Amino acid sequence: MTHGTVRHTRVFSAPRELVFRCMLTPEHLTHFWGPAGMSAPLDGITVDPRVGGAFETVMVSDDGTSRYTMRAVYDEILDPERIAWTEVGSGLRSVSTFTDLGDGRTEVTIEQSNVPAAFLTPEAQAGFLTSLDKLEVYLGTVAASA
Amino acid sequence: MTVTATNQLDQAFIALADPTRRAIVARLAHGDATVTELAEPFAMSMPAVSKHLKVLERSGLITRSRHAQTRPCHLEREPLDAALDWIETSRRAWNARFDKLEAHLRTIQTPPPTKGSER
Repeated sequence: MTHGTVRHTRVFSAPRELVFRCMLTPEHLTHFWGPAGMSAPLDGITVDPRVGGAFETVMVSDDGTSRYTMRAVYDEILDPERIAWTEVGSGLRSVSTFTDLGDGRTEVTIEQSNVPAAFLTPEAQAGFLTSLDKLEVYLGTVAASA
Repeated sequence: MTVTATNQLDQAFIALADPTRRAIVARLAHGDATVTELAEPFAMSMPAVSKHLKVLERSGLITRSRHAQTRPCHLEREPLDAALDWIETSRRAWNARFDKLEAHLRTIQTPPPTKGSER
């Protein structure tokens, strides 16, 4: 069972259909899928948008020295609300939810589950836990309230 | 015992999924402690605490001295750091993706300048 999730959220000034489409189209994905310092070349992206279909990307570092291949399988595609995939191997599941805010903006939430269930606190989600010292502070409050 | 880094990370997260074990880790962050000392703040029997300690020990998060009679528990920071690194890496990756997606959406929603502006 899921112990919890790590959540990442952002609001975009774009209609939901478009944002949803971006997440499911290689020609769009190539523009943003690579994290900082990395790119995701179009020829390395596979999107087979159906349940059981493949979602694969190759991320290449900008200096060309390293590359990382992500292999996942879609478990859910609900146009234009939700896309879920599970990474082969790690079992890490990512669910993208697209919420129409009604004013032309769209909120995207990525929930990662099957993750390591420990730091699934609001603090962790906000990325405050960047050092062991901060974890200690957090764990200290947990201990104090236990 | 040799485990792969991923396996160790999994074990660390599983071990830390439990609030009692997190509290034990929190206590150990302040210094080594014996089972008796660790059991004190919890309304829990010593065997129950020992069970939690075994899970933590298996995950590599804590080690226990073989020398002293009381076998004090010691927090190992490496697996804990690995777990934190995972979250931080994930957060950074998605932040960067979101930044790029934001820019991309702006680009594709901007009408080409040659066709004149509609707004």
